[in-house]
Formats: sequence, C-alpha cells, structure tokens
Amino acid sequence: MGIIQCKEISKSFGEKVALDKVSVDIPKGKIFGLLGPNGAGKTTLIRIINRITIPNGGEVFFDGRPITQEDVEKIGYLPEERGLYRKMEVGDQALYLAQLKGMSRNDAMAELKKWFVKFGIQDWWKKKVEELSKGMAQKVQFITTVVHKPSLMILDEPFSGFDPVNAEIIRKEILRLKDEGATIILSTHNMESVEELCDNIALINKSHLVITGGVDEIRHKYGNNNIELIYTGENVLSPVEGTFSVLSDEDNAGRHTAVVSLEDGCSTNAALAAILSQQLQVNSFRELIPRMNDIFIKLVTEGA
Amino acid sequence: MNLRNIKVIVGREYMTRVKKKSFLITTFVVPILFAALCILPSVLMMNTKEKSQKVAVVDQSGIVMPYYVDNEAATYTDVTEMGADIAKEKLDELGMDVLVVVSPLDTLNKTVSVQAYSKKPIGVDFSESLGTKATNAVEDYRIRSYNIDNLDQIMKDVKARVRVTEYTMDESGKESVSESAIYMVISMVLGMIIYMFIAMFGAMVMTGVIEEKSSRVVEVLISSVKATELMFGKIIGVALVALTQFLLWIVFTLVLVLAASGIFGMNFLGEASSAQDPTAIMQSMGVSSDQMDAMGMSTIDMSSLTAAQDSVQTAEGEPSELSVILGTLGNIPYVKLIICFLIYFVLGYLLYASLYAAVGSAVENEADTQQLQLPITIPLMIAFFIVFFAFRNPDSGVVFWGSMIPFTSPIVMIARIPYGVPMWELIVSIALLVVTFIACAWLSAKIYKVGILMFGKKSTYKDLWKWLKQ
Repeated sequence: MGIIQCKEISKSFGEKVALDKVSVDIPKGKIFGLLGPNGAGKTTLIRIINRITIPNGGEVFFDGRPITQEDVEKIGYLPEERGLYRKMEVGDQALYLAQLKGMSRNDAMAELKKWFVKFGIQDWWKKKVEELSKGMAQKVQFITTVVHKPSLMILDEPFSGFDPVNAEIIRKEILRLKDEGATIILSTHNMESVEELCDNIALINKSHLVITGGVDEIRHKYGNNNIELIYTGENVLSPVEGTFSVLSDEDNAGRHTAVVSLEDGCSTNAALAAILSQQLQVNSFRELIPRMNDIFIKLVTEGA
Repeated sequence: MNLRNIKVIVGREYMTRVKKKSFLITTFVVPILFAALCILPSVLMMNTKEKSQKVAVVDQSGIVMPYYVDNEAATYTDVTEMGADIAKEKLDELGMDVLVVVSPLDTLNKTVSVQAYSKKPIGVDFSESLGTKATNAVEDYRIRSYNIDNLDQIMKDVKARVRVTEYTMDESGKESVSESAIYMVISMVLGMIIYMFIAMFGAMVMTGVIEEKSSRVVEVLISSVKATELMFGKIIGVALVALTQFLLWIVFTLVLVLAASGIFGMNFLGEASSAQDPTAIMQSMGVSSDQMDAMGMSTIDMSSLTAAQDSVQTAEGEPSELSVILGTLGNIPYVKLIICFLIYFVLGYLLYASLYAAVGSAVENEADTQQLQLPITIPLMIAFFIVFFAFRNPDSGVVFWGSMIPFTSPIVMIARIPYGVPMWELIVSIALLVVTFIACAWLSAKIYKVGILMFGKKSTYKDLWKWLKQ
C-alpha cells in the first residue's frame, strides 16, 4: 500500500473544474513523477495532499489512514513558486520554517548546520535572503524542505533555477534521500529527469488522470516494436516479408544505423536470425523504447 | 488550532519587528518629540520675557503717563514736551523702539485714544497691556470726576470675579472637585492614542500579510500550519509589538522629561508628582500626551488646542487652579481607566487587525489596498471625529451610541471613561465588541484562507464575497 493514496479527488473553483475524480497511489520509498501540461491540475493535487486546499470530493490517505493535520509535519514541500522572507536572515528563516514543521529549536539548529556545511554555505547564515542570488535562495529553500527528515517530499520543478553543477548536487541528494527510505513526488516538465529518477508516474491532463504506473511499464506499453540496428559490411539490410521492415538506414562511411520495425507476432530472435542471414556484421541490436517526452506529447495531444 | 505553531509564529512576528531599525527609531524619536513639545512652550515663554521694549510716551492727556510704570516687558520715557511729530522723527536718535501717543483728554466723553508707532510690529501682549493701562487711567479719572469720597476704594471693593468650581458626585454621594476642560483633554488624548495604535498596528498586520503573499513564502507556510494559525499568530505578534512600543514610549518620555527638567531647572512634573494617588507612569502619560494632543489637534480643531493650552497655563499659574487640577486628576478612576484602556485597545486592535489581515490577503502589493481598505478606515475616522467634536457634550446621543457600536466603541468609550461610565454600559459595550470580533475574525479567516493563494489578479469586493461563501 502506498504512502499516499488519493481516492477520486475532485476539486472545483466556482465553475472551473481543477480535478475530476483523480485517483493515484504513491508507493513508499519510490520517486513518483507527477506530470501534466501547465494548468492540468498538478498544483491543485499537490496542495490537496499538503492539506492547503480542501477537496470537494474524494479522500487522501496517508500510510493507509485518512490524512490529518499532524501528518503534514512528515511532508516537505518545495512549491514551484519559491519564496522566502526577503528581509529575514537565512539562518533565522531556516530555523523558523523547521520549527513550523515540528522540530525543536535545538534539533533544527543542529540539523541545519549539517546541511549548511554539506552545501558549503555556512557563511550565508547571517545574510539576508534579499542579498542571495536566485540559485542561492533555491539551495536554502531546498534545505528547508528536507531538514525535518520528512517521509514524503513534494518537489515541484526542483531543478529550475539551478546551474548544471548545482542541479547535479540536488539530483544526488534526491537519490540519497530515496535510498534512506523517503518517498518523493517530483512534479516536472523535464522528461529526461523523469526517465532518470522516477520509478512511477501519473499524467494528468485537463483535470483528469490520463495514465499512472511504473515508468518502464509505460514506456514498453507505448513502445512500437522498433529496433535500432548498427552494422557494417558490404551488403545493405533489406526488409524480410512477414518478419520486419526497414524504416531508415543511414550509411556513415560503411557503418550503418538502421531502424527496423518488427511485424506483428515476430519475435526479436526471429528478426535477429533473419538479419544475420543477410551476411552483415552486427555491432549493436537494441530495442527502441519511446522517450517519456514522446509519450507525454502523444497522450496530451491525443486528449486534446 | 495548534498552540505550539502559534507560539512559533508569534515569536517570529514579534522578533523580526522589534529588531528592525524603524522600530528602534520610532521608539526613541517619538518620546524625544513628546518631551520637546512638552518643554518648548516653557522655554519659549522664558525667552520672550527677556526682550524689553524701550517706549517713548507723548502724553497729551496728562493722566495716563503715571500708569506706564517700568517693568520687565518695557521701560517708559516721558517725551511729552517734544511733541508727537518731532518724537516720531527722532525715535531712532532717542534709541527708542516704540512711540506711544496719548491724545488730549476728550472731556465730553471722558476718554482718550492711544496710538503706538514702531518700526517693527509690537506684540499682541504688549499692545494689550498699553490699552489696559490707559483704560485703568481713564477709569480712575472718571471715578475721581464724581468727587465722591473714597469712591475709588468703593469701586475696588465692588469688583468681583466669580469662578465656577465643579464637583462630581459618585453613587455614595461623595463629592470631589473637577474641571471639565481637563476631562476633555484626557478624553481626547486617550481616544487619540487608541485611534493611532489601531490604525498603525492594524496596517502593520496588513503589510505583513502582503509581504508573505507577494514573496510567495505563504505557500510553504501553509503547507506547515493552518492559514488561521498563521493569521492569528501574526495578529498576536504585532499586538505584543504594539504593547512593547507603548511601554517603552512611556518609560522614555518619563526619563526625558525628568532629565530635561533637571537641566533647565524647570519644574514640569514637580507639582504633579506631589499629587496624592496617581502613579508616576500615569502622570508621564498625562504630560506627554497633553502635548501630543496639542500636536494632533492643531490640524484638526483649534478650539481644543486652546483648551489644552489653557490647562497648561493654569497648571503653571495660580496654586488655587492647581488644586482644582490635582483634584480632577485625583478624581479620575485610574484603575478602571487602565484596565479599560487595555481591554479596549486589545479588543479594538483585534477587531481591526483581523479586517486588515483579510484586506491584505486579497492584494499582492500595498498600492492596491486603497479601495479595499475604505470600509475599515471610515468607521475609524468616524470614531475619531466623535471624540474630537462631540465631546463638548459628553452625554450626547452620538457619544453614547458611538461608545456602544463595536467599530467605534474602542475609541469613543475610552474617551468617555474619565467622565464616569455606568458599569452596565461598559459590560454591554465590551460584550458587543467581543462578539463582533469573533464574527469578524471568522469571516476574515475565510477570506484570508482563499485570498493568500490567489495570485495574478486584482481582487474586488465581489471576489471577497465569493470567497466568503466558499
């Protein structure tokens, strides 16, 4: 059973429906990608899980029982629209936010110091937030999101605003937190990081849940039995009736890269045997799984 | 609501504000202003006395000159034989500031006329004293012209000045001396302080809400605590800031006034501090606010300004007047006043602060608050005007209803207290205020909850109404 279960969540603001009976199950200890185009209802769902917004219908379960205000302390939330008190000192601010998450002042102080050392930002402690650059403030905000060791983290576009070096630091931290047993909900438009980080996803479009499940499972489901073949040799690959067709074949100084489409019912072994029989030197034979990006575009535009 | 969360929020709201430079500046500068205004009139009065006028007198009547006796303000020289025209020309040569020409005695009307010539305009006080002295001369001349023995003595005996001494009676029939002008000044000062504090610190709550919203920190906050906890934490935190500032003002003003009286060798508080019951703090409040009062009113109501000055003058004047003032001050129910001040300040602030919070939640920058603030500022202004204009008649209906209706009662009722208010009226007024506060806080919280997450669009009254119904 997941750490968070949303059962038929509905929310509307006046006439506008933001979510319509959306059910998702977020497994414990995994990274869960929450995907969808702008305005699909992701932020509303995140706010409902955080108990910022109360749904009109449906229920959220935390660890198997209806979520309560106390559970909110076990959640860390990094909203897409970042914000800290501009006039407040970084250290005071981080302490304040940690205390609001239920930490004692001393615990918060000790834990924050560790994080500040880890990120090499000890000398920011006495700085005012308005003196920090955007990326620096993002780092501070990331720390305040995770300092209370939440069992669930909701990160909305966590990499935006970071340079590649810092984005990598954050990425590693996310993976480390996952290894320590935390569950992470990652809302992002960056499909590469979804493929790289997420175990499961849910795609929301126009206030409806379009698909949810494991990333690999979904990618295979939307796969179209294409194979990338790299070969060398005098001969050029030709299609075999009933086995495969050749979609493309690029000759790069005798080294060919071809995309082969298997016919229905044809196994990869049969295709490989047919290819080998054509006297080619096979260098690489790889199943082509569709990119999340393509699946995203396909599902969103099909729904339009 | 979670008390621990509220405590943490209150702590932040309080600490960030008292650590601000602007808080320190207002805390120190305002008492300096109060003290300066307190001391300045006395210093000025002392200085004006030193300027002595040299006056040349051409007395064509022959009766007025004996009345022009040298004093601190002026020295008089008789230049009658020179004649008015020559004296006018030779004024500078003679080293004189003013030439006073008294006309020949008009035997028919038994009077004279007086003209004063000078390069620089002579002061109002000096002009008046010239007139008074000439009047005395003419009156004495008239008395003499009746040729009745001892008539001047008789006339002196006949002159009288009757003063009204006011007493107030409490339920047990105990009488005590009092003076309406003092009540009025104290009322206005108290009303003014509450008005100022509600407007100032209410707006501070609003600014704080806007800050959280425009910096977007609010979304993180309400993912940790409930919106209502955040709202009440802020309101309470700012209330503590207000009380701290108030206390510091009292202490600093007292210190400054005492220090100044030591330096200038003047006795500002001396007489007052010898009074029987009032505590030192109350007096410092009274003295400093006297001046604040005058300052505030100079733009608003000239008549109340003079009322304030009157009381200052009498305080420094005859000791018999002083006893009336002390009697009046002693007559004010201080304990009741202080308790009521705190109750009305806190409740009034809470009521308005919750409304200010709702307005703050609906906008993203302060420029947009003007229109939405109107329903808050109008009742405050009305209460303010009731205190300043209607208190010439403290028993009027406007004052009574103003002290009952919750939106004006914190300001109007506190101004009524020095005059004595029946217990039942106090209880009803406070009860109404509490109920209204709870209702307003509930409604404000509903608006606030929705408002703080609304971005990108200027909210209107219609939006607020929609949020209320959500």
